[in-house]
Amino acid sequence: MSPFFSFILKEARHILRDRRTMLILFGMPVVLMLIFGFAITNDVKNVRTVVVTSRMSPQTQAAMTRLATSEYFTIVATVPTPEEAERLIRNQKADISLTPYPKGNQWHITVDGADPNMAQQWSTYAQAILTGSPAAAPVSIKLLYNPQMRSAYNFVPAIMGMLLMLICAMMTSISIVREKERGTMEVLLVSPVRPLMVIVAKAIPYLVLAFFILIVILLMGHYVLGVPLAGSLVWIVLVSVIYILLALSLGLLISNIAQTQLVALLLSAMVLLMPVVMLSGMLFPIESMPRILQWIAAVIPPRYYIQAMRKLMIMGVGINEVLNEVLILSAMTAVLLTVALAKFKVRLE
Amino acid sequence: MADAMNAIEVNHVSKSYGKVRALDDVSFAVRRGEVFGLIGPDGAGKTSMFRILCSLLLPDAGTASVDGFDVVREMKQVRRRVGYMPGKFSLYQDLTVEENLQFFATLFGTTVEAGYDSIRAIYSHIERFKDRRAGALSGGMKQKLALSCALVHQPSVLFLDEPTTGVDPVSRKELWEMLGTLRERGITIIASTPYLDEVRRCDRVAFLHEGKVQGIDTPENILKQFAEVFNPARPISSAPSVSYVATESQHTEQENAIEVKHLVKAFGSFRAVDDISFEVRRGEIFGFLGANGAGKTTAMHVLTGLNQPTSGTGTVAGFDIRTEYEQIKRHIGYMSQRFSLYEDLTVAENIRLFAGIYGMKDSDIKQKTDEVLQRLKFEDHKNDLVRSLPLGWKQKLAFSVSIFHEPAIVFLDEPTGGVDPATRRQFWELIYEAAARGITVFVTTHYMDEAEYCDRISIMVDGKIKAIGTPDELKQQFQQPDMDHVFTHLARQATRTS
Amino acid sequence: MLKYLLQKEFLQIRRNAFLPRLIFLFPIVMMCVIPWVMNQEVKNIRVCVVDNDRSVRSQQLVHRIEASRYFIFTGQQPTYADALHTIETSEADIALVIPPDYSKGHGQVLIAANAVNGTKGSIGSSYLSQIVGASPSTAPSTTIPAGPSTAPSTAALSTSSLSTQNVSSAAILSQPSTLTLYNPHQDYKVFMIPALFAILTMLMCGFLPTLNIVGEKEAGTIEQMNVTPVPKWAFILAKLIPYWLIALFIITACLVLSWAVYGITCQGPLGLVYLLAMLLALFFSSLGLVISNYSDTMQQAIFVMWFFVVCLMLLSGLFTPTRSMPDWAYLTTYVNPMHYFIDAIRTVFVRGGGFEAIAHQVLALALIGLTMATWAVASYRKNS
Repeated sequence: MSPFFSFILKEARHILRDRRTMLILFGMPVVLMLIFGFAITNDVKNVRTVVVTSRMSPQTQAAMTRLATSEYFTIVATVPTPEEAERLIRNQKADISLTPYPKGNQWHITVDGADPNMAQQWSTYAQAILTGSPAAAPVSIKLLYNPQMRSAYNFVPAIMGMLLMLICAMMTSISIVREKERGTMEVLLVSPVRPLMVIVAKAIPYLVLAFFILIVILLMGHYVLGVPLAGSLVWIVLVSVIYILLALSLGLLISNIAQTQLVALLLSAMVLLMPVVMLSGMLFPIESMPRILQWIAAVIPPRYYIQAMRKLMIMGVGINEVLNEVLILSAMTAVLLTVALAKFKVRLE
Repeated sequence: MADAMNAIEVNHVSKSYGKVRALDDVSFAVRRGEVFGLIGPDGAGKTSMFRILCSLLLPDAGTASVDGFDVVREMKQVRRRVGYMPGKFSLYQDLTVEENLQFFATLFGTTVEAGYDSIRAIYSHIERFKDRRAGALSGGMKQKLALSCALVHQPSVLFLDEPTTGVDPVSRKELWEMLGTLRERGITIIASTPYLDEVRRCDRVAFLHEGKVQGIDTPENILKQFAEVFNPARPISSAPSVSYVATESQHTEQENAIEVKHLVKAFGSFRAVDDISFEVRRGEIFGFLGANGAGKTTAMHVLTGLNQPTSGTGTVAGFDIRTEYEQIKRHIGYMSQRFSLYEDLTVAENIRLFAGIYGMKDSDIKQKTDEVLQRLKFEDHKNDLVRSLPLGWKQKLAFSVSIFHEPAIVFLDEPTGGVDPATRRQFWELIYEAAARGITVFVTTHYMDEAEYCDRISIMVDGKIKAIGTPDELKQQFQQPDMDHVFTHLARQATRTS
Repeated sequence: MLKYLLQKEFLQIRRNAFLPRLIFLFPIVMMCVIPWVMNQEVKNIRVCVVDNDRSVRSQQLVHRIEASRYFIFTGQQPTYADALHTIETSEADIALVIPPDYSKGHGQVLIAANAVNGTKGSIGSSYLSQIVGASPSTAPSTTIPAGPSTAPSTAALSTSSLSTQNVSSAAILSQPSTLTLYNPHQDYKVFMIPALFAILTMLMCGFLPTLNIVGEKEAGTIEQMNVTPVPKWAFILAKLIPYWLIALFIITACLVLSWAVYGITCQGPLGLVYLLAMLLALFFSSLGLVISNYSDTMQQAIFVMWFFVVCLMLLSGLFTPTRSMPDWAYLTTYVNPMHYFIDAIRTVFVRGGGFEAIAHQVLALALIGLTMATWAVASYRKNS
């Protein structure tokens, strides 16, 4: 057996023997996909409504019945005064209150504005139902690529970006730092094996693991969540490979800086996880951020990967349209890999 | 070329870490095929020297060459030719014994089969555990496995940094016999060791002290020249320790600090402690000896309430080890094999913490802290972080902390592993002082000279106690000249194959 | 005894080269940066226009889009296909197609929005249709922010609920007036800052204790502790208390910064905010200790912790309303302390609710927290 394969075998054993970590590694994508695919929605549903009944007219009565029978609103209480209704909203017993005017089908809507987006949607829906007419609109709207507004379309590429980064960068860096901490690195360095090979051999099992997880996510996304794989699968895989390489070089870089597992963990959590979740456009739109944060977001690699994946998977565009992202990712990979290898220490401090 | 005769040349090498000067203008040369000892107290700069020679560290000044290659410029050539076992060699805990060995064999471009001859003597002890994970081995067995991993290939120069710390005397002998055969094959060996019998087996030794070479000569000359360091007088007990005969006459049940009957501790089908029975009398220094993996640490864990026994009964300080283990903990002190103080606290803070845990009053703690530090001559280091102290000091401190609350019994698990002779002597003086104050001392050790200092000893083999009595009794019983021979005689009977 | 253990924990935190800085800087940096990030407000949407009319009216429409603070006008495209291409290359998010007869009042304006991100697509197109609708000639007097026809499930809305009713009877009626309570400026920061309290408490009080016990395990000092007569509860409590104090610090820093930087102050009693934070810290620090009691390595502990943290956070209603979840997911919120905390803190901080408003959340949090703490003590084994 060549030292190289023996290395890979050893590393694979480390990964496979830690059952709990393995469980998390494969459980995480599955659970995340289920949560994002099914549980996390911005749909207007089950909005708790309170109605002020003091000044009901037959018309408002009819409108209220309409509201009550819709799937969007649930009337949880009827109270005599608007003050009472507001108290219910404050105590989190209701989200929206409806007060009819004495005459005709006129309403006053009071909505809990703590969540601005939802507040706006609730009141819009309530208005539509109460007035009973979608105003004859002069516009027709076409929602491209995702006509049913499934959040999974948006999140599956984001989960890929986050998990691949986490597995490749965090786990590689920790496994290298652990060898430093335990003292086995000294022996590996003094052995006739070239240091570069030590690192490459270490990265390969994680590369394979990342690939497995990529496949799990793609399969689940496609068959369970119904996310389209509209673009070329070859390009999806190729771009992912570039991204995985980038994550591995980041991991290597972290392992050069960190001396203890604790620091490696915190560094990857702070430097990798936080920005990935916050600034990659995964949860929050980058365009709405202040300029300075947009600049920071511009150097965060997962941003480009997630964008490229959204285009390739969901929009189904050709490679020409994602050339920009792919070029940026490739350039970042080249730079990070060069720096990581140049900084790799073949001696102790 | 005259140089060709020298496997290693070191010329005026210096190395500093910040303000600390680890090596100061060190020069020596090692001939090809020589067994060269690098000896000296902790912090003398031995490990730095090894690392520089392995090309792991860059010297601040001076040059060094290994096998004719410069360690700075020709790193690759050097690394291809040397074998290195660092002091804190660590194995892959989650790989099995065999997998570890195989990995290191292929790492060095050889196979276990090809290298088997050179490790047979040591590996045969642990071969029967080859499917066990390295993390589950006892401390000494890990060390043996690490040694096997380092020796499986045959480099032209072999560096061993304290290879036998924590290894039992029998295995140490076998290791050095093995090094002898390697030497005959022309391999140059440089080793550091705190054991005097091992120093004597070297061809020449260099004595390092505070980063400087104090002398290079044959072992006899060095040991003679620095006799006060290496051959300290037997520690003098400050008060006559309780003699065996004396306690015999007034022996009652209550006089036993520890009583154990038919104690068994099994992990699955493996009986680590296999039906042992013994008593330790109050005020006695009891040596608990045994080869690596004989079950000493496990037995100690059961006695100190860290583990439940599988079967059998026992009392410690009058409390049942099965049910009253929390009361036991109130009345004992414990110093574990792994270093047991908080490294990120200062000396005084550690003392305060442990004293506080045992419910001592603040004022008592303060007063006694000063007393203890004074006795240890540690006053100046009261506010130093424990991390920054040399190993021998840490061990002395750990012992003082473990008896700070005046426990009835103190358990010491290999307290002097890897400590130089002078410090060991001071350590034993502390033990005698404690015993004189009436504290029962239960100690494990691999130093047979220390075994002689005990009032009574037991020797464990394969989880069973094979012999128990005073050192003199045992020597008589087995008709051996000293404890070393008694131990070797018994330990070689080990047959355990589970 | 507890005193000495506590002293040790504090000294260890202080001696650590990294932790004090982390504890001090992390909440401050997070408070200063994240509210800007956690902004689901949709703006700066890039629009490209295909003007088939080329009249003064269509020019006016384009000017209105340019003037809007929500949109960035990226230019005209000759055909719809070209416009689609700009969406594919992400140069634009929405394409607006003006029909040839627009100035005569005929034909429908087409809005084609990239809806891969559903929220952005739908809200963007609804804003845009509002601008188109506000065009003097075509729309009557629609002043509704986002017309119902643009709401996500337009088709479902009009068929399921409205088709049963006589549409004409309602059509004559005027629009209702809307009052938005508590957050009149619809500022996302008001919504997200209380969430940030939760996230910070969770991260600091969850991860640090996890690392702590596993760290002692790896260093071997825990064995020494186990042979001392330290009671289990004292050992665990000494590990927990520092993190409660850290939680206190975090909350204070958050409150001060939210007032100083964003001008957002707590509407309800401050004491309740602290009470809630303490209860959440109790839960997360206990969870951290439970996980580390069962873990052998730091990596394992962190991964398991991370898994729980992500699940608890996503299912808590922190970003999306829990009531929109399917039933199985909604059931989990009954045991999710994060959900109770988020609900309660928003009630106190944003809506100005008093104790009676959050009594049941406080009770639930306390119960879950104490259960966890009991588990933490029980799962720590001094004797095996």
